[in-house]
This record gives sequence, C-alpha cells and structure tokens, in this order.
Amino acid sequence: MNRKLLKEILLVLEAMVLAVSPAMAQKQTPPAGGPPKAFTLPAHESYTLPNGMKVTLIPYGNAPKVTLDLSLRVGDVNSPDDLAGLSELTAQLMKEGTTTLSSSALAEATSRMGSSLGANAGSDQSTFSLDVLSEFGPDAVKLLGDVVQHPLLPESEFPRLKTNLLRGIAVATTRPGQIAAARFHKLVYGDHPYGTILPTAENANKMSVEDAKKFYAANYGAQRAHLYIAGKFDSAAIKKTIAATFSGWQKGPAIVQNLPKPRTRRALDVTDRPNAPQSTIYVGLPVPNVTSPDSIPLFVTNMLLGGSFASRITSNIREAKGYTYSPRSELSERYHDAYWAEIADVTTAATGPSLKEIFGEIERLQKEPPSAAELQGIQSYISGIFLIQNSGRGPLIGQLRYVDLQGLGEDYLKTFVQKINAVTPADVQKMTAQYIKPELMTIVVVGDKSKINEQLAPYAAAAAENK
Amino acid sequence: MKLQRSGARAVAVLAVLCLVGGTAAIAGPPGSQPVGANDFKVAVEYYKLPNGLRVVLSPDHSAPTICVGVYYQIGFRIEPRDRTGFAHLFEHMMFQGSQNLGKMEFVKLVQQNGGLLNGSTRFDFTNYFEILPANKLETALWAEADRMNGLAVNEENLKNQQGVVGNEVKVNVLNQPYGGFPWVDMPQYANSNWYNAHNFYGDLKDIEAATLGDVKNFFKTYYAPNNAALAITGDFEPAQAKQWIEKYFGGIKAADVPPLPDLTEPRQEKEKRATKPDLKAQRPAIAVAYHMPDRNTPEYYAMGLLMQMLLRGDDGLLRQELVQKRGFTGTVNGGINLLGNTWNYKGPMLLIANLIYDPATSPDTIVQAIDGVIEPLRSKPVDQATLDRALVKLRSNFYDTMGGPGGFGLVDLLASFALFDDNPARINSLMAEYQKVTPELIQKTAQEYLRPENRTILIDQPQAPAPAPVAAPAKN
Repeated sequence: MNRKLLKEILLVLEAMVLAVSPAMAQKQTPPAGGPPKAFTLPAHESYTLPNGMKVTLIPYGNAPKVTLDLSLRVGDVNSPDDLAGLSELTAQLMKEGTTTLSSSALAEATSRMGSSLGANAGSDQSTFSLDVLSEFGPDAVKLLGDVVQHPLLPESEFPRLKTNLLRGIAVATTRPGQIAAARFHKLVYGDHPYGTILPTAENANKMSVEDAKKFYAANYGAQRAHLYIAGKFDSAAIKKTIAATFSGWQKGPAIVQNLPKPRTRRALDVTDRPNAPQSTIYVGLPVPNVTSPDSIPLFVTNMLLGGSFASRITSNIREAKGYTYSPRSELSERYHDAYWAEIADVTTAATGPSLKEIFGEIERLQKEPPSAAELQGIQSYISGIFLIQNSGRGPLIGQLRYVDLQGLGEDYLKTFVQKINAVTPADVQKMTAQYIKPELMTIVVVGDKSKINEQLAPYAAAAAENK
Repeated sequence: MKLQRSGARAVAVLAVLCLVGGTAAIAGPPGSQPVGANDFKVAVEYYKLPNGLRVVLSPDHSAPTICVGVYYQIGFRIEPRDRTGFAHLFEHMMFQGSQNLGKMEFVKLVQQNGGLLNGSTRFDFTNYFEILPANKLETALWAEADRMNGLAVNEENLKNQQGVVGNEVKVNVLNQPYGGFPWVDMPQYANSNWYNAHNFYGDLKDIEAATLGDVKNFFKTYYAPNNAALAITGDFEPAQAKQWIEKYFGGIKAADVPPLPDLTEPRQEKEKRATKPDLKAQRPAIAVAYHMPDRNTPEYYAMGLLMQMLLRGDDGLLRQELVQKRGFTGTVNGGINLLGNTWNYKGPMLLIANLIYDPATSPDTIVQAIDGVIEPLRSKPVDQATLDRALVKLRSNFYDTMGGPGGFGLVDLLASFALFDDNPARINSLMAEYQKVTPELIQKTAQEYLRPENRTILIDQPQAPAPAPVAAPAKN
C-alpha cells in the first residue's frame, strides 16, 4: 500500500562528508557570485464558497499544464479504532466510478485529459488530484467534483480492493524501513490512529463496503474541502466551473480534532530479521510542533544535526565511518504534532557504534553551540532551498496546503527566510539540549538479533531502568 | 550520489516543506492567462567550444534559480569487464576532491550557497548537477570545471567510498524484498551482449577490488570536454554565461576518447523465461521485458505510444486487464528505461512491465492475460480514440519530464539530446514525431517488437519462511 510515512520528497541529495582537507596556499578560491535576486511568493487568489469549501488559484509557469488538488480533512485520524486503513480503502473505492460514470468511463475521461486520477489518504488529509493539459482545466474541475460528491462506492469492487490492501500489508511487512517506521509509530502513539501506519491483516479483513459507505457519509463534505489549482489556466472559466460544480455540495460534517498524546521515554524495540546485512535504525522522540515559537530554531537545528547533506550525523556515520549510505534526520509532522527522528540503515556490525555516534553528535551539540560559520552555512542552505520549494505547481500547492492545514497563515511563508536567518548558535544549542534528548528516545531497530543483541545491550539496560 | 532510478530511495533533507515535481518556470501575474497547447517551445542555444565541449543554454527568467548539469558519455554499459559497478563507484569519487576543492568541499560549497546537487550513473551517461540561486551560476561553473580539469583523490577516499557504495547496494538490493527486481536483474536476463547484460550495480567483490590506478585511468579515458555536454537552464544571461564557460572550461584539454564498443543486441528469436529466488519476499512478482526498436526510428516513436497505451493512465490496457478486470494485482509498474525515461538513453533498451501478485495466481495465467491485451494490438490497427488518448498522455508526461524540479528536468533532456544526437533543439520538434504515428505503424511495430519471441519473462519467487508479522501494540 506504500503508505508514505515520511514525506515523499524528491530530493536528490545523498551524503558524503568528512573533515575538510586543509586548504593549500596555491588553491583558487571559488567565485562568490553576484548579489542575490529578489524573491516573492507567486501571487494567488483564495476564496470560500457559501457551503464552506475553500478555493486557491495559483497562476503559474509556462508549460501548458494545470494541477488540481482537492484536499479534505479526513484521514487515518478519522478511521475507527479497529479499522485502521479504512480511510485509504474508502479513497480507493471512490476511484471505482460515480453514479453517472462507470469505472472504465472515468479511466478514459482522465486519460483524455492527459492525467490519471490520484486518490490518497494520509494521516490528516485525503487528496484527489489530476494533472492535466491546460485546455482540460474546466473539465478536470467537473470530474473531480463528480468523484468526491457522487461516488458509486460499488460493492462489486470492494473484495478486490481489500485483497490489494492485504497484499500491500504483506509486502510492507517484508521491508525493513516500513517495519521500523510502523514499530516507532506504535511505540510513540500507541492506540491513537497515528500509531497504526500498517494495519494488521486481521483488521483489514474486518472491513466491509458498509464501513466505507459510513465512513464516506461521516467524513466527506464541502466544509472539510480545499481545492488548489496551479499552473496555466483561464481564471474566469475555472472559477465559473468551480461555482457550478461545487455550489450544490452539502456543507457536511465539521472537522474533527483528535490530537494524540505521544509518549516520551526511553524504549528499545528490536524486530528480528535473520541474516539481514544491515540494521535499520529509527530513533527519536516527540518535539514541539510548528505552532510553537521554537519550531523555527528547531527546524534549523535538525538541518545542522542530521537533516542535510553536510550535517553532523551524516558526516560522521557516512563519510568518516562508512557505516551507512543514506542516513537522515527529520522533523516528521502531522496536524499540530511532530517528532524528531534519525533514520539509517547501517552495516550490521556497526549497529551499536552507529547509535553511539548518533547520540554522541547530539550530546556534542547540547554542550557546545555551533560556530557562526557552520550555522550560517545551514541558514544559507535553507534560504536557497526555499526558492526551489516555491517553484513548480506541485511544490507550491504543497506549501500552501501545509500552511492551511496547520493554520499558520501565509505570513509564515513570507517571513520564513527572515526567521530562519535570525536563529543564533545559542538557540541551536538550547533546542538540542531542551528537546533532542537521547535519554528519552524510543529506539527501534530491525536487524539480525543474533548479531546485534550484544551491541544493543547498553541501550536495553537504559530502557529497562526507564520503565 | 547514486545509481538513480525512478522511485529509488531518496534522502529526505527537507523535513517540513515538500519539494515534489513541478516546472522550471515561474509565476506570471495573477488572472487570466492564454492557454497554449501544441505550440509550447523552450529556448535552446547550442554551440561547441574548440575543445569539443557541447554547451546548451536555455534561459527562463521566471524563477530566480539556475540549474547546471554536466553529462559525460560514460554509462555503466561500457565499464571495464573485470570491474562491474565501477562507473558508479567512480561517480562517487567525483565528489572526493579536485584540484581546488578537497573532500567534502564541493558539497559544502553548493550547500552553503543554498543549493542542491547530485550525480547519477545510467546506461549511457554519468551526470553531475547543481540547482542554485541564480546569482551563484559562476560558482557552479567554476566548480564543475575544476573537477573536469582533474581529480585529487587518495586511497583513503577510495576505501571510504567503497564502503559507502557497498552499503548502497545493501540498502537498495541485498536487504530488500524484490531487491534489484526488475531494474538491475532484467537487463542481465534479457540482453545477450555483455555490455548490456552485466550487473551494473556491481559485484561487491569487484567494487572492493577497484584501485586508485583504475580511478585515474577511468578519469583520463572518459572525463574529457570532448566527451561531455554542459547544459544550463533558469534565470541567467547567455552572454555572461558564455564568458564564464570560456573562462573556466575553455582551457581544459581534449582527450583521445576511445570509440564506443559494439553495443548492439541480436534480434531475439525465442522467448526466455527465468525464475529468481527471493529470500526476503512473501509475494511473488513477475516482469516482462521486450527489446525496443532503435532510438529515433519511426518504430521507436510508435513504441513510445504503445507504452502509453499499455502502462500509463487509468485506461492503461494492462491496468484495465490485470488490475481492474482480473484483480491479480493493485498496480502494474514499468515503462521504457526504468533508470530514466523514454528520451534519456542511447543504446539498446527494454520496455518492461512488472507487478506483484498472490501465490494463488499462476504466472502462466498472468502471461496469458497479458497476451490477451497485446495480441489485438498486433492483429489489427488500433482504434483512433485509443491512439489519441496515448498521444495526450504522452504530451502531458513530456511536459512534466521537461518541468522536473528546479530546471533539472530540462537540463537532463537538453544534455542527453546534445550528447546523443548533437541536436538539443529536437526537444521542440519531438512531439511532432509522435504525431506522425499511424494506427498501421502501431500495428507493424507491435508485430515485430511485442512478439512473444522478443520477450523475457522473469519471476521473483519468494523462498523465505513467512517473517513474523509486526508485533501487537506494546502495552505501557
């Protein structure tokens, strides 16, 4: 089922790193480049229909394409306790035709526009999307409107989709990265829906088409919906079609708040994977979410510690030690919720040593602020990347949707770079000391128990003390 | 740095804000815009330096960023026979130090100037690129020229990168179910010419056996300006860029690059079938590969449209049959050139379709169902509506490929067309070639290239005891 736990990001980078060799006197200095050019967020227009549905239009780019993204505040967080995965199954079932279009007619219609219909349920949102040639913009609005307002939800297709879900679960439970993420979420979020990113086959088997119909009725409606349109399109024609297509949609249910109570405490959890050549490590803890004033300094801290190419942990365990290929740390976010984690697939023999180095880098940053130059390098990096994040139809929609979901207001984007650059070395040290505490981290390892148990013994003891 | 493929593991460095897909161009004023269709063109200026370096410039002032790509015509196909995986290992070495930049300094230079960078190794090229704020173009050109001028790497760097590449192979292949299936495996089964049929990720033993002498020799042989293309897209002034290109790349000496070996594949006359045991998977998977027509022939364009009919869109014939109608699987994956796209390769290539299915289904049933979809394409001309939808899907897909993140999608196509065709401007006439394809040509192409004898079927067969399911929630 390819659940995205981590945001799927294109990102190109991979790490390298190590000590910089001493510059020799005769070496040339790289040209510094000219003064930076001005950047402003592309202009866009937002409004609300009388039934509560929100619309954002972002004219953008030269290519004759337009992306439509209808996001609804319905996701895992709304699935009943014993039916994890129902939000995803319902989204899939909505692709199987509408009351007036059969599944195959729908498939031909999206193809004639140069797209396929995306339908995905995430933690907090479900998204229905089309990415069509510009001349089909209004047709695409109508089609999306039909899919979300008049789905057929056919019983005939339900067993097949359930079989797909079961196959997806079976495949996911053989992938070490997915096992590790699932264990981490279970330990941190427990019985909250965020705790189950991989439903059990038993739960999946319980679901019926009636559950999906009930779920649709209870969770879909105009006031939970936000339509984003980015690219080249005729604004007047699109607006007219939006009004005609969506004005009759019922207001529907209000957004349900279901905030988790994530657990913060040392735990060690090992899943055996006999003969695995690597151990998959997922280690972290809950941290303040984006609504906290500390979120910006924490963002910078993460980039410097493990979240970028030349970051400290990556420099250490990849380029200095050669333990791993693609380590990373991240601030993983859901609605008003966040955790920090370092994730790495390391050579089996280096499982214990990797944890030692990861914790060592964290403790070093807790004790001593980074140099101004190191911090400035990270701030420049974040500022530059921000330009790329705001170019492209998909990225722009992603940015605005994020801000809307978290309720930040667009000022967040307008002041982001300025705030990033205001963070001081002392802030970074303080954030690390205050929030990124190894002694309170949940440690998940998927690997060959017979070879790693001994390496993990010190962490097991610490976990036991904490219970 | 990676041997990159679609859907490959990527390192996420942006935790909060997503960076996904998109176009290189940027915002116009809000409000009504003319909606163009078939007449979309990009700027292309093409010339060569006296040392042979091919240069493509495509300015677009709508976003304050630039992308610089340097493509060398050395893909993993032609790496040394006793050094499988070496082209890719070498790519890693290009980040380990050059005349003016020590280990890690290249990476830090780009990162601290607010940019992204990467390199990747493919069938017919190895590329290096940076996406940066527009005011850093000169910095990027200087740095790429510096490493084209020569490497300064040592035993320690090589040893470290051998370890890193070993871990890359483990994380992408050895410790995964379906590791290497079908993207590393299929070329080895379907091709018969060693250059196309060896393990290009590399035998771990070969990777470990590489020496610093190999590294130096490989650089000297292939990393020359007359074997490379430089493409720049984004917000820059061509006149200024040309001065910098002359200043930094003009003095690099050309080399005697050996001619490409014979890469041709013989016509396949008999279907091949193979089974690969998989100790990590629970569910079987199957892949079917057909040899492609030579690139840029009428049949090549027809095959591109056949791929759209079979594998793209909700109406994809294989999806409709195998997913919707028969319920064998949830998704049919595949395409032309799984390590890139239909356009960014040169030598022999495969069209591959692959899917994961359930043990209760026999592979023969799946192959029969595939035949049920393919045989009608071979026995009669396709209906115009299906061909029209394939064209629309292809055009939509082409614009997205071109609009890849930060200007890199455009760099990739322009550099490929400069390197392989000596004609990057063909980006603006490419769609016209597809529009020439008739239902009759589709049928003729399907008859020859979708022959059962032209295909290889590979099954990934689980051989592991079922692993323990994810444990029940911990009680605390």
